[in-house]
Order: sequence, then structure tokens, then C-alpha cells
Amino acid sequence: MWRGRYFLGLSLLAVWLMGTAGCGGKANTASAYVDPHPLPIDTLTVDVPEIGTHGGRFVLAQTQPPRTFNSIMANESSSYDVTDGRLYTTLVDFNNAAQTLTPQLAKSWEISPDGRVSTWHLRRGAAFTDGHPITSEDVLFSFEVYMDDSLHVALYDFLRPYGRKFELSAPDSYTVVIKIAGPYAMLVPIVASVYVHPKHMLERAYRSGTFASAYNVGTPPESIVTSGPWKLKEYVPNEKTVLTRNPYWCGVDARGQRLPYLDELVYLIVPNQDTAALKFDAGEVDALDDVKPENYETYEKGHQKGNFTFYDLGPALNTNFFFFNLNRVRDGKAGKRIGSTYVDPVKYAWFSNRDFRRAVSKAIDRDAIIKSVYHGYAVKNWSTTTPGNKIWGSPQPDGYDYDPEGAKRLIAGLGWKDTNGDGVIEDTRGNPVRFSMKTNSSNLMRVASMNFIKDDLAKIGVQVDASPLDFNSLITSLRTDFQYESVLLGFQSGTPPDPGMSQNVYRSSGMTHYWNVRQPKPETPAEARIDALVEANVNTIDMTERKRTFGEIQRLVNEECYFIWLPAMVYKVPVRNRFGNVHPTVIPHRVIWNIDKVFVKLNGTRA
Amino acid sequence: MRTYVLRRLLQVIPLLLGISIFTFLLLQLAPGDFLNTMAENPTVSAERLEAMRHSFGLDKPWYIQYGLYLKNLFLHFDFGESFARHQKVTAILREGVLNTLLLAAAAALVTWGLAIPLGVWAAVRQYSWVDKGLAVFGVVGLSVPEVLSGLLLLMLAASTGWFPVGGMRSIDYDQLDMAGKALDLLRHMALPALVVGLTPLAGRMRQMRGNLLDVLRLDYVTTARAKGLSEGVVVFKHALRNAINPLITLFGYTLGALVSGSLVVEIIFSWPGLGRITFDAILTQDQYLVLGAVMMASFVLVLGNLVADLLLAVADPRIAYD
Repeated sequence: MWRGRYFLGLSLLAVWLMGTAGCGGKANTASAYVDPHPLPIDTLTVDVPEIGTHGGRFVLAQTQPPRTFNSIMANESSSYDVTDGRLYTTLVDFNNAAQTLTPQLAKSWEISPDGRVSTWHLRRGAAFTDGHPITSEDVLFSFEVYMDDSLHVALYDFLRPYGRKFELSAPDSYTVVIKIAGPYAMLVPIVASVYVHPKHMLERAYRSGTFASAYNVGTPPESIVTSGPWKLKEYVPNEKTVLTRNPYWCGVDARGQRLPYLDELVYLIVPNQDTAALKFDAGEVDALDDVKPENYETYEKGHQKGNFTFYDLGPALNTNFFFFNLNRVRDGKAGKRIGSTYVDPVKYAWFSNRDFRRAVSKAIDRDAIIKSVYHGYAVKNWSTTTPGNKIWGSPQPDGYDYDPEGAKRLIAGLGWKDTNGDGVIEDTRGNPVRFSMKTNSSNLMRVASMNFIKDDLAKIGVQVDASPLDFNSLITSLRTDFQYESVLLGFQSGTPPDPGMSQNVYRSSGMTHYWNVRQPKPETPAEARIDALVEANVNTIDMTERKRTFGEIQRLVNEECYFIWLPAMVYKVPVRNRFGNVHPTVIPHRVIWNIDKVFVKLNGTRA
Repeated sequence: MRTYVLRRLLQVIPLLLGISIFTFLLLQLAPGDFLNTMAENPTVSAERLEAMRHSFGLDKPWYIQYGLYLKNLFLHFDFGESFARHQKVTAILREGVLNTLLLAAAAALVTWGLAIPLGVWAAVRQYSWVDKGLAVFGVVGLSVPEVLSGLLLLMLAASTGWFPVGGMRSIDYDQLDMAGKALDLLRHMALPALVVGLTPLAGRMRQMRGNLLDVLRLDYVTTARAKGLSEGVVVFKHALRNAINPLITLFGYTLGALVSGSLVVEIIFSWPGLGRITFDAILTQDQYLVLGAVMMASFVLVLGNLVADLLLAVADPRIAYD
């Protein structure tokens, strides 16, 4: 008898659990938001396509948790997604859609004709989440932290044009003057990257040397005071981050309603993209910001049933390429003679030969990679600035595209041929032309591309040993022991996507000048020329001149074929239709960059 | 008894020390370090990396790093700080350990709540269709890996909407009343607990059946039946008490294994436990967090074994420790 009851009980429990499934969510009542505070004197009036109403919530999935709420100490996109533009704001905003810089906390600014002195006028009445006014004191404090010698944050080098730090002063509470040593193209983009942090909350931590751990994820949300449109409401480790509106935010719509419209912005932390996709399908998440091209078709077909729009964002700003190891031993520690090459001298002779690199580039059928690896959703790219970059992405420089006959002619011109008939060519001394290529195994599209490259090069008689490996091992090869022959990799674009942000790639002294990093002085005439052009490109404010020098840099890099460029992916993301003013862009943070303007449409059905 | 427990707990210290050295060495042997995660960002300069390497102490040789770790551990009971989160390791682990224990407890409930009655049922109906059906169920349960059953159930949840797609709480959790909160937790917990609980279930069920069958053949059971006792009293009051002993030992052992064994399931079901924290820490080479997590898991395992031994002493008067 008891057995019957026991199992009956269990099955009842199961049915009860399943039966209560549908009623988990809170009814999305449009609770009228009553603005508790008067609007600031200098409101930031935002031009929104549709005037919205207050209320509602937007849920997004993140595959990694934020590691800190301190924007200055953040090092990973899972933290930036929450801090940059959401919790904190800047004097100048980067508009992802137009890819231009627009006034934010600074209502206007002037730059002297010689480019050395700039004056920034702050918005009166703008305030932190605790109501404390944002003044020039906070701006000076934030710059001081960004320029700190021991913290050495990511922007540090960019805040030292001509080797001298930015000099800031505050004639009054709402004016900031920045002096620099000469004209500097990166001035406004860099000011747009300095997030304003509250001096009244963080100065003590900074002076006592504990800034790095201030505002960590264990800090109670109520004591995290921030400058952006959002404030932290709750963080549950490995579960979710919840933001709510900053009641003092200076942004308003044309009708004078304070932004953000939404009550809450929720980041759900999920283990991977697949779970995020399942949650989107189940209606638990309102948008995805990373979808694999192989799944694009499914979303194209499912958008009516799922009540979402599948937005085409165009080509990514992130790049893909491979390069050969031309690095030399810089110190005696590696057990090698200083100045000797890391790769076998025989191979160094091939890799350093421009015609060999051009032949390799000409051997690669990029259309086939686009078709097979990206299911058609990619475009050819020949620069660090892809066609997705509205300011710098066109015209694209010329590159050595698919031309197998041309590749064979170049190889024949080197005097290399297949003497023993094994299908692999030999160089003039009889060494078979064969090299290895590494990439990180976690990136399946890179691994797939590598296999295409291997087949394409085999057709011109060059043998490639493809070796996908763990990301950490790859980076160790690349950065520490230089034990590689070629590597397939990519660059993430900086924001704003100005070529000045990629200086470290082009400068021969740069750490991401991957093919030959940190050269004491440029080893080749081409690299010396590029160094001078980078200098000229950055140290001016004349846009025509910048376009010219950058074009020249790209031309030189491609003529030398230092990077063998590969296609750039086209991004598509789904977002639910019940939200208004949605405008996803290819630049991070793809879906939420304008989330303060997004609202819930009243007639929208709950998906 | 007390000295026995004390002795067992003291043995934990050299064990943890050994585990920490071993883990630390493995981390050192793995290529790269925490700073590798920043490699694809062209704005991070070499000087910045050096500054960070220095502030994390990663520029020192490994034995000095380990020595400093031990010093802080013994002098201040300080397990160090996570590189990625600038937070104390103990604070981060505290977040996860309760969630993991909750899942482990629910899974244990699934395992033992089903294994014992099903095992008994199979034993008293030996060779019937029930017994055979449960045997097939056992074979399937033992051979389907957690990854597969987890993913299948997750897909079921996504396509039917009967259960949430992973996670531990709904977004609205805070607005719910006590009953609502409990229900919400249960709904989220049901699938992962089922997956973690089902794997050992098959084995335990067969064990229960075997033990009970052995006991039912003994003379005293025949005597009890001859006395005219009802079959229910014979099975549950006389036989089960004796048949359950080996399972108590197993219970203690699984207690420890449950904490470390739910890693895969935690990742599949987005469960915010120790497993995910450890997994992320290993991927990013956040070394002190990895060390802390490994030592914590080892400690729970040792504790589970101790509990198993003590439970045995309670259940079986023939066993005594002194």
C-alpha cells in the first residue's frame, strides 16, 4: 500500500512542477514611472526614432560573468558589456550606428588651431547614481587614474602623445582644459574612451593603493556609484546582473521624458552560445548578440513564429589573417644567439621572401572559404579596418587575391620546382617547401579555414601541417617562446574603430606587430617607412592627411604581404519585435549599445 | 570516537598540502598564464602586461609564488585573490559551494529516494516483469553519460517549455513569496538533479536488490515467516535493516563525489555552483582560484568519507572506533 502512495506522490510532484511552468514570469504591467527628480539644466536631448514609454525589461545572455564593475580595471568584454556605456559614460559618446563621435557629458568642446589646447564644457546638472553632481573634479580624477604609472591601464599609452602625458586643468566646475604636446588625431577618440568615475567614492581607494579591487563584483550594489544611464541593482554570481535606470541621468527624449525607458536591463549568465540560443528559443532571452553563420538559415525561417527580427549587421570589424614568423632572438635567454632567427634559417629565407608570401596569398581561394566556412556570410577583407568600418573601411586597399596560375608563376620565378615528383616543390637547395600553421582549436571557423588553406597551398606544391591547439599554448608560442612557423589569428576591433587604435600592429616596435614584434629599430625599409607613416597619421588632426597616410600604410603592408588576409564574417542577430528603437550594430555592444533608448511597445505581444 | 575523528581530521592537512603542490605544479606546466587571455586585444601594450604580471607576482619563480601562498595560508588563513575578479578566493568559493551542495542534496534525494524502494521492489518480485524492467532501466541508466542525458533534457525543456532552460532562479525570484520561491527553485533544480541523481541510481538500485535477496534467503527470515508474520513486516522490519548496511557506506562516499561530480551538469544547466567557477578558473588560469577550488573539493571528499565511516558505526553496533 505505502509503495503506491510513494510513487503516486512522486508523480504528482512531477506533474505539479511541469504544470506550474507557464506562470513563472511576472505580468509585464506598464507601471507608469514617475520621475522623482527635476531634469538637469543642460539636458542631453536624444533624437529617438520613436518616442517610447517607461517600463519593462530587456534580457540578454552573456557567456561569461562580469569580473569587475570598475570600468578602468576591466580587461574582458563580459565586464565591458556591463560597465562601458551602461554603468559609466564619457565626455564624448561613440555612435555605433553612424560611427561618429557625439557630445555626451561634454555638451561642446573647442580645439585650438594648433591642436594643443582643447576646452571641454560639461553639462550642468548631470549627476551620478547617488545624485552627486558630475563636475570637472571627477573628470580630472578619472584621467589621473587612467594615466597612473603603476596601474598602467589599457589606454595608458594612448594618453601619452609625443611621450608626454595629457595635462588637465579645471578653470571651474564645468570646464576642463586638456593640453597636449602637439596635434593628436586620437584626442577625441581617447576622450571618448575615458569613462568618468566618481571621485567622492573612489579617491580614497585610489590614494591607498587599493583601486584595482575597488568596485569588484563582491561590492554591495548600493555602494557602487556610477556616471552612466544605468545603475547596478543586483549581481548574483554566475546567474545574472541586473541594471536599473540612473534616476539622475541627463538624457531625455524630444518630449522631455528621462531615459532610459526600460525599468531593467538583465544579463543572464549562461555557459555557452548554445544555451543562450535555447533560452532565446524558449523566450527567456530577448536577443542574441552572437549567432553562428551555420544557424542563420534557421533564424531566417523562424522569425515569424518566434516574433523576432533577424537583423543583418554587415561585415564584422574583427579580422582574420595568417602570417609567418620573422622574429629574431632579442635576448640571450632562449639559448640562442642574439639576432638569430627563431625558425629554421632555411624557412626564414622563404618566409622573408616577399614573392613567396605573395604566392601564398594568391593561392588561397577566398570565395570557397566564404561559401563553405561562413555559409556565404562573409566578405573579403584586406586591412585591419574591414568594409564594416564606415569611416576607414573604404576604399579597401588592393590585396593579392586568388590567382593560382599567378602563384605558380611566382614560385617558378623563385626557381623552386618539384624535382622528385612527390607533389611537393623543393627550393633551390632541394629542401621540400613545407611549413606548419597553428591556430586556436576553440575557434571552429579558424580551424575550418586552415583546412582550406592547406588544400589550396597543396595545389601549388606547398605542404602545410595544420595544427589546431589550445588558445593558451598558441599565445605562448606567439608571445613568449616564438616557437611557430605561421599562425592564423584575428584582431578584435577597438572602439572607436580608428586606425590609431591599431598602432601596435603597424609599428615595428609594437607587441602585436606579430610577424616580427618589438624590433629595437625597423629591420626592413618598408617597416621603417610604415613607422614614419603611423607617426604622421597619429600626430595630426587633418582628416584628409590621415586618410592619405593610412591608405599608404595599408598599401605598403599589402604590397609586402605581411598579413595573408582572410574573409571577415557578416553578423546577423535576432531581437524580439516587442521592443521599439532597436538598432543593433556590428560594433560591440551589438544589441545594447543604444539600450537606454529601447522601450517596450504597448501593443507588442509577450514572446 | 573523538580521538578517531580528530586523527582523521589531522590527516587532512598533509593531504591538502600534497594536493596543493600537485595542482600548483600542474598549473605551472600548463602553457601560458592568466595574462594570455588579453592577447587578441591590440590596445594592450607590453608595458601594461609587464605591470600586471608584476602586480600578480607572476614574474617570480614558481617556488617563491608557492612559498608566499603557503605563508599567507598558514599565517593569515588567506587563500589569495582571484586575478580576474580582484576578490578573495574564499568569497568566490562561498558563492558556489552552497548552490552545489543544494544540487547535490537534491540529487542524493533522487538517487536514494528511488534506489531503495525500487531495489526492494525488484527483490521481492524477483524474476517478475517488474524486476526485468528495472534491470533494463538500470543498464540504460548506467550507460547513458551525463552529458547526453543533460543535453537531451535541456532540449526537452526548450522545446516544450515545461521546465526552464537551465539556471537556478527566475529573474523575478525576488518578487515571489516563500512558496513561490521554493517552487521556482524546485522547477529549476528538477532536471539537473535528475541527471546527477540518475547515474548512480542504477547501481544503488541493483545493490539494494542483491543485498535484500541475500538476506531474504537467511534462516531468520524463514523463521519470521514461519512465525506467521505478514510479508510486509518480514521484509521491511527484519530483512531491510540488515540489508541496508553496505548502502550506508556507499552513501557517505557519494556525498563527497557529488560535489565534484556535478561539474558537467552545472555547465550544461547553467547552475551557478563550484563546478562552473572551477571550470572558468582553469580556462583562464586564475591560479589561486583553481587551487582554492581543488582544495575545497578534496576537503569535502575527505569529509564525506569520514561521515561514511561514522554512519557505519552508528548503524552497525559491531563496528566501533577507538
